Amino acid sequence: MAVEAGQTRGKATPDEGPGGSRAPSGALALGRRFLTLREGSVIVITIATALYFALANDRFATVDNFKTLLPYFAPVAILAAGEVFLMINGEIDLSIGAVYLFAPFMFYEIYDDGNVPLLLALVLAMLVCMVVGLINGIFTAVVGINSFIATLGMLLGLEGLTLIISHAQPVDTPGTDVATQTTFAGIFGAGTYSQLIWALVIVVVLQVVLSFTRWGIYTVSVGGNRHGSAEAGVRVRLVIIRNFILCSTCAALVGVLESVRTSSIQPDPSGANEVLFDGISAAVIGGTLLAGGSGTVVGALIGALFLGILRDGLIIEGVNADYLSFYLGLAIIIAMAANTYVGRVRRGSGSA
Amino acid sequence: MPDQGTAGERVVAPTGAPDDVLRVEHVAKRFGPVVALQDINMHLRKGEVLGLLGDNGAGKSTLMKIICGFEKPDAGKLFLRGEPYEPQGVHQARKLGIDAVYQDLALVDELSVFHNMFLNRERLRSPLPLLNNRVMRKEAREALDDIGVAIPRLNVPVARLSGGQRQAIAVARTVHSEADILLLDEPLAAMGAKEGALILDLIARIKEEGRVSMIMVLHNYVHVLTACDRVNLIQDGRITLDKATSETSVEELTEIVVEEYRRARQAANGRGTRGR
Repeated sequence: MAVEAGQTRGKATPDEGPGGSRAPSGALALGRRFLTLREGSVIVITIATALYFALANDRFATVDNFKTLLPYFAPVAILAAGEVFLMINGEIDLSIGAVYLFAPFMFYEIYDDGNVPLLLALVLAMLVCMVVGLINGIFTAVVGINSFIATLGMLLGLEGLTLIISHAQPVDTPGTDVATQTTFAGIFGAGTYSQLIWALVIVVVLQVVLSFTRWGIYTVSVGGNRHGSAEAGVRVRLVIIRNFILCSTCAALVGVLESVRTSSIQPDPSGANEVLFDGISAAVIGGTLLAGGSGTVVGALIGALFLGILRDGLIIEGVNADYLSFYLGLAIIIAMAANTYVGRVRRGSGSA
Repeated sequence: MPDQGTAGERVVAPTGAPDDVLRVEHVAKRFGPVVALQDINMHLRKGEVLGLLGDNGAGKSTLMKIICGFEKPDAGKLFLRGEPYEPQGVHQARKLGIDAVYQDLALVDELSVFHNMFLNRERLRSPLPLLNNRVMRKEAREALDDIGVAIPRLNVPVARLSGGQRQAIAVARTVHSEADILLLDEPLAAMGAKEGALILDLIARIKEEGRVSMIMVLHNYVHVLTACDRVNLIQDGRITLDKATSETSVEELTEIVVEEYRRARQAANGRGTRGR
């Protein structure tokens, strides 16, 4: 680590630092500064990918395709936004896919059995999912189980529970109607831009929380130096538990939005696991370090957009479904490699 | 450690002064099989600078961490301004006016200089509780200028700074807190002579103001004699010496340590390597 720190410090002269306010002006310096922005590399890769598909196929850069693209990336952006907080914390939540699966069934059960108003049923379902996050947080921060293991257990347990309560049968989403779109459905996912608006609002709010509040500062500090944060009086367990709850809440919301959009709730664990991989991939592509201490919500949004464009573009190109996963995997590894390199230059230190 | 030997005979009994801000009585702490503190009695008067000496592993840092709420003692009592003091964590100790510079500095590499300086003491805007970075940057600048340590840019992550600069930040953030009891665990460890002198100047100035009381762990006897009013020595988890710095000398302190090495060597020859 020490050797690495020495090398990277050599590369990054003070003028190339974050902010780079004293860098010599000119296109080159501007370009370099942009690339050393936290999200710089993924923005470049995303634009390049979009350009490629736009040039290769007339049907890519159209309004219709934009609408097709939305469900590919908006839900992933929300999932990744919550996951970013945990990953900056130095933890990971593998149960987001299971919560995504579980939340709409909870919504359905409470609405169907409890004779409660639609919105109240939704709120109660969200609260149950927040308790899932609370349990994840307690097992990780208080009991001391590695979050990878704790949430892996939660993933399996919750998927199992979903299959039990649903009897593995799909149901119609409460408050939706296949023939006409209700106001409820329009707001919670079925409206054309509903998911996009949810995603943008959540990303903006969470980015502000991350950059400009105590919650955000403590998330970074606990992820960067857990012991030191505790010494400085930061309540480390509280910070971690709070972020687990946030992450579960985001996943639950996405589960509900998606079930309202498709107006049916499917007990499909394999689909849920795909959701999990997309969420974490988007966060990682967006520049969030698994090791903790660094990452942005906006980056996760762009990461989700990149994944969406790639998937949508490859489908328009008529790429065989078997190749799709292969290309996605390749893209994630390349993006990660670029991020690691750019990150090292930017920080000028091997501290991460 | 079954050791009731020479160190045990000279153990300082609980003493006090009318103007004590902090009193530690019969405090003990063990980590599994390792006894860190056996029986600590110590007091700190208002406005006083108390130097804490001792070999590595004697229990200095453990004692500091108990006082600042990071560790809980197994036995014994603490009193803060005459009241029983049982901090439930660093958070509470800070609220009661006790703050510490830790040996490991407790800085977060990923955060900027000024965010580190205000960690857990952030300045907020109203009505929305957003961070007031402008005010924090300004106050951080003032605090660092006050010490005189050169840190050109406050926006950079502390990972980029030198050991001395990092230590200066850790000291500055503690000294400029509202706390009136400061615990400094080797505040000069990573510093060159020039930076060290700046910190000692700062401590002397604070002492002159008389508001703040300090406990400092130091290794350099000259620093102890210039910066501190009184010196306590920890050996094997007990305080074995309590003297005003005006009544002791570098020679006496050195003699104690030489004696300690001699005992340690005898013990090592006697029963193989010993624990902490």
